[in-house]
Amino acid sequence: MTDSTHDNDRRNFLQRSVFGTAAASLAIASTSHVTAQTAHDAAEPEVTNEVDVLVVGGGTAGHVAAIQAGRAGAKTLIVERGSQLGGTTTTGGVAFPGLFDAWGKQVIAGIGWELVRESVELDGGKLPNFSKVPQRHWQNQVYTNQFLYAILAEEKCAQAGVEIAYYEFPQAITKAGDHWQVDCVGFGTRRRVRCKQIIDCTGGAELVGLLGFPRMREEERQPGSFLYKLGSAPSPGREQLHRLYVHGADSSNSRTATVANLTGRKSILEKARKTGQRLMHLQPETGFRESFRIEGETMITVNDYTSGRIFDDAISYAFYPVDLHTKTGVKPKPLQRGKVPTIPLRALIPKGSRNLIVAGRCVSSDRLANSGLRVQASCMGMGQAAGIAATLAAKAGTTPLEVPFAEIKSLLIEHGQIVPGQV
Amino acid sequence: MKRKRNIVSLLTALSFVVLAVTGILAFARQFSIQLVGLHALMGFVFIGLIALHAVNNSNHLSRYIRTKAIWGTLVVTATLTVIFFWQPAPIRNILRLSKNLGPAIDRFEIQDDGLVYQYTPASNYRMKLNIRAGQAFDAKSPPHVAIWLENASFYHIKTLRGPDDLGAGRTSLPYWDFKVRGWEEAKQAAENSNREISEQVEVDGLSAATQNSSFDPADYVLPGDRDNPMPYRLLIEIEQPDDDQPSLVYSVEIDNSTPRAFQLLDLIGYPKREEDEDQEKEVWSLYFVDERFNSALELINSALLTINRSEEPTEPLKP
Repeated sequence: MTDSTHDNDRRNFLQRSVFGTAAASLAIASTSHVTAQTAHDAAEPEVTNEVDVLVVGGGTAGHVAAIQAGRAGAKTLIVERGSQLGGTTTTGGVAFPGLFDAWGKQVIAGIGWELVRESVELDGGKLPNFSKVPQRHWQNQVYTNQFLYAILAEEKCAQAGVEIAYYEFPQAITKAGDHWQVDCVGFGTRRRVRCKQIIDCTGGAELVGLLGFPRMREEERQPGSFLYKLGSAPSPGREQLHRLYVHGADSSNSRTATVANLTGRKSILEKARKTGQRLMHLQPETGFRESFRIEGETMITVNDYTSGRIFDDAISYAFYPVDLHTKTGVKPKPLQRGKVPTIPLRALIPKGSRNLIVAGRCVSSDRLANSGLRVQASCMGMGQAAGIAATLAAKAGTTPLEVPFAEIKSLLIEHGQIVPGQV
Repeated sequence: MKRKRNIVSLLTALSFVVLAVTGILAFARQFSIQLVGLHALMGFVFIGLIALHAVNNSNHLSRYIRTKAIWGTLVVTATLTVIFFWQPAPIRNILRLSKNLGPAIDRFEIQDDGLVYQYTPASNYRMKLNIRAGQAFDAKSPPHVAIWLENASFYHIKTLRGPDDLGAGRTSLPYWDFKVRGWEEAKQAAENSNREISEQVEVDGLSAATQNSSFDPADYVLPGDRDNPMPYRLLIEIEQPDDDQPSLVYSVEIDNSTPRAFQLLDLIGYPKREEDEDQEKEVWSLYFVDERFNSALELINSALLTINRSEEPTEPLKP
């Protein structure tokens, strides 16, 4: 499952990253130069990939899933419609991931935490002390440099042998024997992917929808947040940006997302005009809180969530208050002392599906449970578990739900994740 | 006969001395069941002795009753009774000088099986905190305890019960002390700048719904706007002086918009001074309890907060 060109690619990638970082640091004073490696298939309008695992969506869960699948030995391709990895943490600008701890102990670790920790260390930042009692739930979220995070995620993909395809998105999926055939379109490119397993990390379970499996969606979505900075220069990795609530923000499709972005930017322009302050920073798009959720093999209810139910097939902890944003704001309902919710593998499997798994905020859950599950650390935990389950299923020629759970659990622990019931 | 009269007179005089001293102490000091119990029981003895004293001196007493002075003394006694019962503002101001208004406002008892604190700021609102003793609790050598209220932004708004020994208590209950000092500094700054106290402290703007506009305890405990009550927290800090372990802090959130009659306090953590050199001021934070703690965890078995709220609001007993 490994590609002989990976080592060569990794060296080239690291060289580009080092030069790129140096270039960024000198950008104001001077112009430095770096030459992009010519893509071997750049001239080909249509390419075909044969991979074990296709990850669609490079956001909070997706890049972790892809890195994990690559590290576990699966030939992996990640397709992302945007221009960088990290999703809400980077493109959305919520560079404040959490929660990795509960009641004084770390409960989510693995690849997501590795990325956050390395970003903070490289940035000279400060990690929270999990033994300290937070007065507010967000105090142990981690101030992260979104730019470093995005580059580190790419570096780790390259190190794991994961191929990245930006600006592409699947248009059609068909079943071809024991494989999926996924046709993706970018600008000036078409890609046909033959893969054994698909991990849908699109946030809104777009592939699950394309395949016709049922999804759930509320009549009214929680507001999105458009992040910007007026007046003074932002300090990445040290502070939060200004937030604009975009009510009605809906990421269900490109048209609704376009409306949300136009609405947010228009409002920020009005603020700049009204206050006379300089617009110092603007994220490229709205951070969306909810869209579609899958109907999974099981559903996490708010009662499961708040009672800290430990599912038999729990693949990750989750920890965040029930946090439903409304037109009048949000009043988080903290979890009771000692309670730590868990996420079952079955909540990541669309009901009745095979060779398909999701990770991220589209996890099968009711709305209130989802309001706590949707945050970054939990999505990273789901992503890592999905990467393991898909890899093991691809190796065994089966579907994730039929992989012995003990193998998934064991490999997750081996790759640094904390699994409920581990000790 | 004369010897018996002398004994009764002396006993009456001595019991009066005990009553007078315990009465003054009961007024000046915080509630103590020993002191109030002594005062009450000695009062019953005094009644009996007075009865005997009246019998022994019935001739003199009957002569006094037949004088014109009886009407004046009756008027004075009746007037004082009415005024003290009615308690107009000047009388209430005198009563406020007392540290023991008994169960009417504030009452704290240390018993063998734990601590009981009652707070009745209005006739329609009674708060009772039952701290059930754990195995390490010793009523003969009771722990330092502070009970206080904080608003939704974690600022001290009222100490309900401070430690008996204030000097030792400030050292052994550092988290309460830190909170009180922060409050006092804010008050001082407000007085110096003629601004409201709520403007002196940094208002948390990151999370919504952090009602922090008022630092008047009455706005939380007895919200005037019943449609917009503000949640607050009751905290206990407790420390056993001789156990070489830090104090522990317990807490519960009270939300009058979703009133609950019974709530158990949770163990939050132990206080530790921040060692960050960037901190200009002394800062204490709470940390999760770890395996170092043993007997300190046995001081309290449980802490139950009971709030009785009646429907009709009445004027607070204490502004």
